[in-house]
Amino acid sequence: MSPLLGSRRAAIAFALVFCSGAGFAQDQSASQQVREVFARAAKAVVKIHGVDEHSEICGTGFFVDPTGTIYTAYTVGGEAGNFTVEFGDKKIPARQLVADIRSGTAILKVDETTPALPIGKSEELELATPVISIGYPLDLPKTPNFGMLAGFDRKCLGRYFSTIHLRVNVPTQRGEAGAPLLNMKGEVVGIVVSGLGNNSACYAVPIEAAEKIRSDFVRFGEARHGWIGVNDVSPASQQVDGSRAMVTQVADDGPASRAGLKAGDVLLQVGKKKIADPEDVFDASFYITAGDTVPITVMRGDKNLTFQVQAAMHPASKTGVLLASPGAIPGVIPMSLDEDAPPSP
Amino acid sequence: MDEFNDNEIARLLRLKRYEQPPPGYFDNFLHEFHRRQRDELLRQPLWRICLERSHNFMLQLDVRSLASYPTAVAAVLLCAAIFLLKVYQQPETARVATQSPLTLSVPVNAEQEWNLASPVSTQIFRTQPVRSFRESAQTHRAAPPRYVLDSVPVSYEPTFRF
Repeated sequence: MSPLLGSRRAAIAFALVFCSGAGFAQDQSASQQVREVFARAAKAVVKIHGVDEHSEICGTGFFVDPTGTIYTAYTVGGEAGNFTVEFGDKKIPARQLVADIRSGTAILKVDETTPALPIGKSEELELATPVISIGYPLDLPKTPNFGMLAGFDRKCLGRYFSTIHLRVNVPTQRGEAGAPLLNMKGEVVGIVVSGLGNNSACYAVPIEAAEKIRSDFVRFGEARHGWIGVNDVSPASQQVDGSRAMVTQVADDGPASRAGLKAGDVLLQVGKKKIADPEDVFDASFYITAGDTVPITVMRGDKNLTFQVQAAMHPASKTGVLLASPGAIPGVIPMSLDEDAPPSP
Repeated sequence: MDEFNDNEIARLLRLKRYEQPPPGYFDNFLHEFHRRQRDELLRQPLWRICLERSHNFMLQLDVRSLASYPTAVAAVLLCAAIFLLKVYQQPETARVATQSPLTLSVPVNAEQEWNLASPVSTQIFRTQPVRSFRESAQTHRAAPPRYVLDSVPVSYEPTFRF
């Protein structure tokens, strides 16, 4: 054997050992990261007890601010009452602030100083991004689960969601509805709302949807879903400026009609969301708040037009009470939802 | 028949033919018969009298036609038991749904706590509860808790309206 050949073999062997060592270190790093996230976030995750018309229910929730505000799933905190929260060694009463079936979330509150999870951005997630959830399965203690993002779904089994749902390959058990979905930085990016199939995966509502409901609550004391007044959107025969979402019916005397939208317009953007397909309007319209003025960009023929549409209350809203009537309630932001309001240009 | 032959019997009957009871005997006959019958009956112990009477009563009745009565009584009792059980277990649904429209999630002291400069995430929510619940029925305590995780999300949009 020549000395040159011997040194080459030694170099290859050294490289192999180095690479395997680096891989091992990476594995250790990922595992360590998950453990650290769990250790940091677990203290802000709580078990929620409630009573509905059938029996006692148990689910999971988590603190999102130090004043004891809890996010959970609608199925846990939406239609039950008499809530108590297991927080550390204590069991403290909680009350419901708001419940929104459209997003599938509910917000509870305890009068305690609490730890809180930082809010992340689900929009920054990509497919196959690793995620962690922490929940209370059955009557078992706090349990971490690890998986990855599997999809951004607009519908499942033929049912459209009001907003995009995160499909994650994280195994979940009963009792884990309302659990936080965390990215590897330990930030909340979603709320687990349902299982999927045999619970080997689950659906989570993006945290932005829950933040929208909380924002509505802070401003108006309730969730205020907006309505533009477009009754139907269909796929256009050909793509126009990257979009196939064509308005085919506009409600008479609705906000869109008053603002100047017409059937045949191809939607390009609603608020901050770009539109490419008819299905995109669900997610875009979910983030519209009644009373706010929303810019809607369309293609009409070869003209690019932007209309300022003042959103009305969504027909699906449970109440039509305008809590934010000017002067009616002190402390809330004045706004007008009058039908006679002048149309936006 | 060994002691009396036919001739003797015939002679006795001839003699008896002209015998007559004292006057008023037949007027009092029925009354006397019942008195003697009662006397005879009362010599037995009370339990035997009751047994005998009930036995006679049952024999007089048509048992087959009476067979439906115990069944009907049993069915009524069963229905009553089920009804009472249901009433006991029924939760206070009407109270569960009660909410005061005037206090519906209107922030209390919102003017002091909320302004545009404050970030949403640092607001202190002090609101009236949306729902006012009473203590649950005791039956809830007995039932095992339900661990929540639906099979599909509740979020649902039926049409392309927005």
